[in-house]
Amino acid sequence: MEKEISKLEEEFQKDLSLVKGGEDLEKLRIKYLGRKSPINKLFTQISHLENREEKALLGKNINSLKEKISSIIEEKLKSVEIKEDRLDLTFPSSQAYLGSLHILSIVNNIICSIFERMGFVVIEGGEIEDEKHNFSSLNIPLQHPSRDVFDTFYLDIPESNDGRLLLRSHTSPSQIRVMEKNKPPLAVISPGRVYRPDKVDASHSFMFHQIEGFAVDKGINFSHLKGVLTYFAKSFFSSDVELRFRPHFFPFTEPSVEVDVSCIICKSKHLEKGSEYKCSVCRGKGWLEILGAGMIHPQVLENCGIDYKKYSGFAFGMGVDRIAMLKYGIEDIRLFYQNDIRFLEQFYI
Amino acid sequence: MQFSLDFIKELVDINISPKKLSSLLTMAGMEVERLESKGKDWILEIEVTANRYDWLSIIGIAREISVCLNKKLKLNYPKIKTKPTLKKRKIIIESPQDCLFYIGRLIRGVNITNSPQWLQERVLNCGINSVNNIVDITNYCMLKWGTPLHAFDDDKIEGNVYIRRAKEGEKLITIDGKERELFRDNLVIADDKKVIALAGVMGGKDTEVDENTKNVFLEAAVFSPLTIRRSRQKAGLVTESSYRFERAVFSDYLECASQEANLLIERLADGKLIGYGKAGRKPLTKKKVISLSINDLNSYLGSNIPKDSIKKILSHLDFQVKDRGSNGLQIISPAFRFDIKEKVDIYEEIVRIYGYDKIEPCLPFLPFQLNQDELFEFKRKLRSFLPILGLKEIITYSIVSEKNLKNLGKIESINITNPLREQENTLRPTLLTGMLDTIMYNLNRNQRNLRFFEIANVYIKDRDNFKEIPKLSLGVSGIREEFFFLKGIVEELLNFLNIAQYEFREDSLPNFIQALMVVIEEEPVGFFGKLDEKVRKELDLKENIFYGEFNLELLKSFKKENKYKPFSQYPIVYRDISLGLRKDINFKKIGDTIREVGKEFLYNYRVIDVYRGKDLPQDSNFFTLRIFYQSKERTLTSEEVDTIHQNIRDELSKKEGIIVR
Ligand SMILES: [Zn+2]
Repeated sequence: MEKEISKLEEEFQKDLSLVKGGEDLEKLRIKYLGRKSPINKLFTQISHLENREEKALLGKNINSLKEKISSIIEEKLKSVEIKEDRLDLTFPSSQAYLGSLHILSIVNNIICSIFERMGFVVIEGGEIEDEKHNFSSLNIPLQHPSRDVFDTFYLDIPESNDGRLLLRSHTSPSQIRVMEKNKPPLAVISPGRVYRPDKVDASHSFMFHQIEGFAVDKGINFSHLKGVLTYFAKSFFSSDVELRFRPHFFPFTEPSVEVDVSCIICKSKHLEKGSEYKCSVCRGKGWLEILGAGMIHPQVLENCGIDYKKYSGFAFGMGVDRIAMLKYGIEDIRLFYQNDIRFLEQFYI
Repeated sequence: MQFSLDFIKELVDINISPKKLSSLLTMAGMEVERLESKGKDWILEIEVTANRYDWLSIIGIAREISVCLNKKLKLNYPKIKTKPTLKKRKIIIESPQDCLFYIGRLIRGVNITNSPQWLQERVLNCGINSVNNIVDITNYCMLKWGTPLHAFDDDKIEGNVYIRRAKEGEKLITIDGKERELFRDNLVIADDKKVIALAGVMGGKDTEVDENTKNVFLEAAVFSPLTIRRSRQKAGLVTESSYRFERAVFSDYLECASQEANLLIERLADGKLIGYGKAGRKPLTKKKVISLSINDLNSYLGSNIPKDSIKKILSHLDFQVKDRGSNGLQIISPAFRFDIKEKVDIYEEIVRIYGYDKIEPCLPFLPFQLNQDELFEFKRKLRSFLPILGLKEIITYSIVSEKNLKNLGKIESINITNPLREQENTLRPTLLTGMLDTIMYNLNRNQRNLRFFEIANVYIKDRDNFKEIPKLSLGVSGIREEFFFLKGIVEELLNFLNIAQYEFREDSLPNFIQALMVVIEEEPVGFFGKLDEKVRKELDLKENIFYGEFNLELLKSFKKENKYKPFSQYPIVYRDISLGLRKDINFKKIGDTIREVGKEFLYNYRVIDVYRGKDLPQDSNFFTLRIFYQSKERTLTSEEVDTIHQNIRDELSKKEGIIVR
């Protein structure tokens, strides 16, 4: 057995002298130190020996040969010249594949978090609603011109005690649901999908997104509504944006207001005297309507079992699609629902 | 609604530019949407909100301007002539709940011509075509007073005039030339023989005033708004007349409008009144009495509006105001303000004239209140996690076509009873439709490498009720090893939710092959798999699509808190093993064996290489596994690792169908 060990060492020295480069060295390493190497074979052989002393001695010798060989190879490896291939650094990069959020989710997140900072909590409502919550409780008579803007899809589900079932045409039913179930103080924001039978074109869609918000407590007043919405618009658009509160009519608020921001596209060009510049986004008006709001009508509070003599509140609602279109300069609402990857990949999180 | 500024100027003096006027009105709640010059006149396009019927008239607009500019309204009420009495025919209201009051004037000997220039301009600049002197006069008076009038050719009316509901199947050709079938919902004006007008909506062709008309029957009426609304909805029409009736007309102005039209016909068409008739009773207009506290008002608005300003604003708006103590007012609303019902309505009137912009914004202190919506939070977390896995979020329509659903087999869904188009007539019971649309849309544009997710509700019919279920869908196409990519995504998702105990069960699902059901504590929470050949053929799809769908409420219920899990600091070592696995046997057999034998020293394993070659047996797959070993307590010696690894080799080689190479 000892002979075999020394023979193996000689053989190794001979092979070593023939080594030219790193590749040869690697072959040498596999041959003498690899799993199927003669050294491993020797280990297996001695495991069968009966004589313990002999076994120990031979084992020691084989080990020292193994160590010797590996240190020689390692030493040799260090002296081998490192030769790297030239890398063409102008070669095109490999594509990183990124995930992303839909722009409407991003805008939704931004809007919700602005209101959350002010102390509002998010509560979602259902999309299938009934006539009571979509209309009557909000002071919208079922047969009245004030309902005309709320054209609605009806569903083939048997009528409930609260009227026919439908797809909500705005997020305001969430306001009713929360107020029916909870006592003030309340400050809630409720985002979600809404539906109206509108013919699809660049600015209309039968499905779109709204965010409803409201606060009810003792002493809530109109100037609070102005404060909250001013903070929102300045945070969302920019701090130099101007706001305009215009009287309007909604059946569920009184006084009611529509809120415009100064056009973020043409800035104040419209104010310059004699300017003939016509902005395509605000049509030269200089103002963009972004939301509707008002003090919650006492009748609506009463419909939800809230004592309007003790409590008051404000509510507001805005279209997420429209606001996203204004902020990002998206000209066609259909882009949101086409999910073209060339559209999706322009927005991240 | 379109109004002529020159027409408005008949009733109020305006000393500011049309542009300034527009912005003044807009800021008082009468939004001027468009301002345009037309000759010497200006056209104002005004959005009249549903509560202000009274702004659908020149008088209403002029009154608002008079308030804003602090000018007097120059309104002259004509002296009403009711003699001689109409003898030729009776006016009979058969449906008194639909028609409260009806006036007819018979004017004889009219001379039909074109209107004079000024009259043509008035109606044209308010967006109404000029027809002839009679028709233009009725429109002029409608525009001015807000109460629609209609002129019939009296010689074509046979006998009495009736105001009644239509009988099913009755027909009328309206002046737009369309033959209309009438229903019980339609209120009509009829004579002894036939229907002559769709009341409050449109007149009939047969009794229309034309160039041969000699005698005119002039109608003015108060119809029930709801009746006119139903009737015009049934007829599918909106007219200048129905638009006003549906919102309300002020009965005090009814006689004025009729009288002024009468006078104009006499003046411009040489006609002569020979009979005045009426039926029903002029509805009484009620004035609301409301008491107001200045303090309450200011605390509701967060303002500091002095009592004097309040009184001045209200008087300008034709309210009667009386002092009631130092802090109180008693207010009586003008008769024409049907929209004023309670205190908040007065608040709005005051603040819109005072100026919304004069109220200082102020942030409220919002006290701690409700808890967050847990499901919303859960969805928000998923939305921040899934993009990390390289998935792009999509948003697709909840309303789909029933026909498309049928391609996916018979799935019951909630239908829309009044769909806009056939493409959108039912609520989706699965998110698959939207995912397929998105993937196909992008494949058709030569995009590959598609990895999408959507979070949205599906809608399920539940006997006579419904369920809205929040779901997550995953879809991939055009990437390598799609199935295992998707499987990895699902595993990462479950890891993210700290759900350790779950099972992937092979299952046969409609529309899918190679499908795995994800089961947690014996509850199926979702599935993923490959879209089958049948659906792909149906959709003419060449590419493979892999899809998964999960119930978010269930996933949320199994979600566990994420806690730090200590890991061993001792070294990890590995050994490789090359295996062949017969194609009819699952890898699970290998995995189970490795876990069984490796026990606490097994850290992990991974496929690092897959071989394909003609020289390898075709009934098996060949690959190399790298098995990682580690102890929690100490450094493993290489001999120990060799022994465990050898044991795994030995155990695997005993299994049928597994070849250890
Ligand atoms: Zn602009």
